[in-house]
Amino acid sequence: MPWTLLFRNMIGHPVRSTLTVLSVAVALALLCVLDATARGYTAAVDLAAQNRLVVMSQVSLFVPLPLSYQSKIQQVEGVKTTTKFQWFGGEFGDRGGFFAQFGIDAESFESMYPEIGLVEGSFEEFRGERTGCVIGKGLADQFGWAIGDSVPLTTPLFPRGKSGEEAWTFVVRGIYKALRPNFDEQTMFFHFDYLRESLEAGAALGPPGVGTYAIEIDSGVRAETVMTAVDGLFENGPQRVRTTPEAEFNRQFLSMMGNIPLLLRSIGGAVLFAIFFAVLNTMLMAGRERTRDLGIMKALGFKNGYIGAMLVMESMLLILIGSVLGIALAHLLAGIMKPFVSGWAPGFAIDGAVLLNGLAMAAALGLISGLAPGLRAAKILPVRALREDA
Amino acid sequence: MAVAITLRSVTKTYSRGGETLRVLDELDLDMDGGTFYALMGPSGSGKTTLLNLVGGLDHCDSGLVQVGGDDLNSLSASELAAWRSANVGFVFQGFNLLPVLSARENVELPLLLAPLSRKQRREQAERALELVGLKDRMKHKPRELSGGQEQRVAIARAIATDPQVLLADEPTGDLDRESADAVLQIMQRLNRELNKTVLMVTHDPQAATYADQTIHLDKGKLGGIEDNRTEAGAN
Ligand SMILES: Nc1ncnc2c1ncn2[C@@H]1O[C@H](COP(=O)(O)OP(=O)(O)O)[C@@H](O)[C@H]1O
Ligand SMILES: [Mg+2]
Repeated sequence: MPWTLLFRNMIGHPVRSTLTVLSVAVALALLCVLDATARGYTAAVDLAAQNRLVVMSQVSLFVPLPLSYQSKIQQVEGVKTTTKFQWFGGEFGDRGGFFAQFGIDAESFESMYPEIGLVEGSFEEFRGERTGCVIGKGLADQFGWAIGDSVPLTTPLFPRGKSGEEAWTFVVRGIYKALRPNFDEQTMFFHFDYLRESLEAGAALGPPGVGTYAIEIDSGVRAETVMTAVDGLFENGPQRVRTTPEAEFNRQFLSMMGNIPLLLRSIGGAVLFAIFFAVLNTMLMAGRERTRDLGIMKALGFKNGYIGAMLVMESMLLILIGSVLGIALAHLLAGIMKPFVSGWAPGFAIDGAVLLNGLAMAAALGLISGLAPGLRAAKILPVRALREDA
Repeated sequence: MAVAITLRSVTKTYSRGGETLRVLDELDLDMDGGTFYALMGPSGSGKTTLLNLVGGLDHCDSGLVQVGGDDLNSLSASELAAWRSANVGFVFQGFNLLPVLSARENVELPLLLAPLSRKQRREQAERALELVGLKDRMKHKPRELSGGQEQRVAIARAIATDPQVLLADEPTGDLDRESADAVLQIMQRLNRELNKTVLMVTHDPQAATYADQTIHLDKGKLGGIEDNRTEAGAN
């Protein structure tokens, strides 16, 4: 029966309750999606491999390292494999066709990154073709590329041909899916050697060298030891290096784009405030216009705590209904957003952690926003309330 | 076991804007159990205040308020709430019913505080509605009832828990003659057949004739008690 009263009071103001429920739903959906994006974004850090290191110039990520460094690094005690990563900066078509491409060493890359799982084509076919490339499933879907298709790219970093605007052409030999969410599915990997040979033959211009080397260390070896050893190798130049664990490298790389998780969570915080005010407003209004009803109930013998709890429950109920709708909405939104965000937030998903976080926030705020009107209701004096004209 | 009401030297003041208003001024009053009292007096003479004290809705500043042997001043706010739910039924001035609940649900409301099953609550509420002649309207919302019917539902709610004391503040104030008579007859029956002690505030001398005795209140003091039964005795 108190539930009957609760529900009746809620549907007694259908428009107001509906608006409140909808605002809670929209807010919670936004909160979940933002949280999922923030989590997805940092997945590259959170899920980075423990046994991989990255070597870059001590000056900056944009200063290339000499090619001669690789064999020296390879000889350091504890280094199992190395591979190159060269940023290509290519663009497909005139507009909107931007995605990441890296020149790599096919063999070591395959063994170092087991989370890159080919779902079409194979590493073998990739290795067998100088202009071959491996692309993410997301890219394949986005541009409709299939095995055997040619992908023409132009890049200001490595101008090609007399005009400098001739396209580089890559042939799709593999399509991968990320077996763990630390990798996105929007990247192209091609043979570094194809780039190097083109530069050496004068077919294209551009800086020699490599942006970064990645190292896989032997199991049981301490990463710090290897890092110190590699850094020590080039202490006297020509180009000093900095070696970091993959997680740290990813973190720094992400932070170059600004603190996106913080930004997203700040927006989420603002959204939470919106829930808070929407429900607080509704419940304050509800409590105020029901002053006489609540006074009557108290006169009948209902205690202050009961009356206060009733209003808190009502606000929790509004939140609950809004939350259920919000979760449905979040899944809908996530489905629409996934292709757009998974490139830079590879772990993007409305999973249990996201839902739990969203629901906990909503419940806490439902409680807080119900508290003010609840306390007010608890303090109502029946003699006063009954004197108010209904 | 009719419940008597005793007030000894009861004073109640309100302060408003620095001024102190003595609403009840050392009032002495004895009401017998099982008697129907009308309470009359000019507006502002303290009738509602008196009813609130007797009903345990408020504490007096000094003096003694005793209802059926219970000293209401000795009870805390929370104890008073429990006491009210067991001992008194109220019919308030003006709107009485919760607009979102049906007539039966309104009557069931005070029964939520009693250790009853859902079914028992329902039955008891329906019995109370039957007593006021509105069982056929139990599914109606207050706005679907006439003013007189609303007051009768309020009476049903007041007696649903079977309290021995019934307090009513101008229950017929907004009603036409015919509806008022129906309400008054019910109050009289509750007094005569169920031996409830009834205290009813009214402005209407004709309504007062339904009561056994009329208490006159004037500026917080007792103005006299007249016995209606000695006159014609027609009621
Ligand atoms: N809570 C309150 N605060 C201040 N004054 C009050 C309060 N309640 C009642 N009063 C005053 O006390 C006086 C008596 O009120 P009341 O008992 O309602 O009189 P009646 O019911 O006889 O008209 C009135 O002047 C009223 O304004
Ligand atoms: Mg009054």
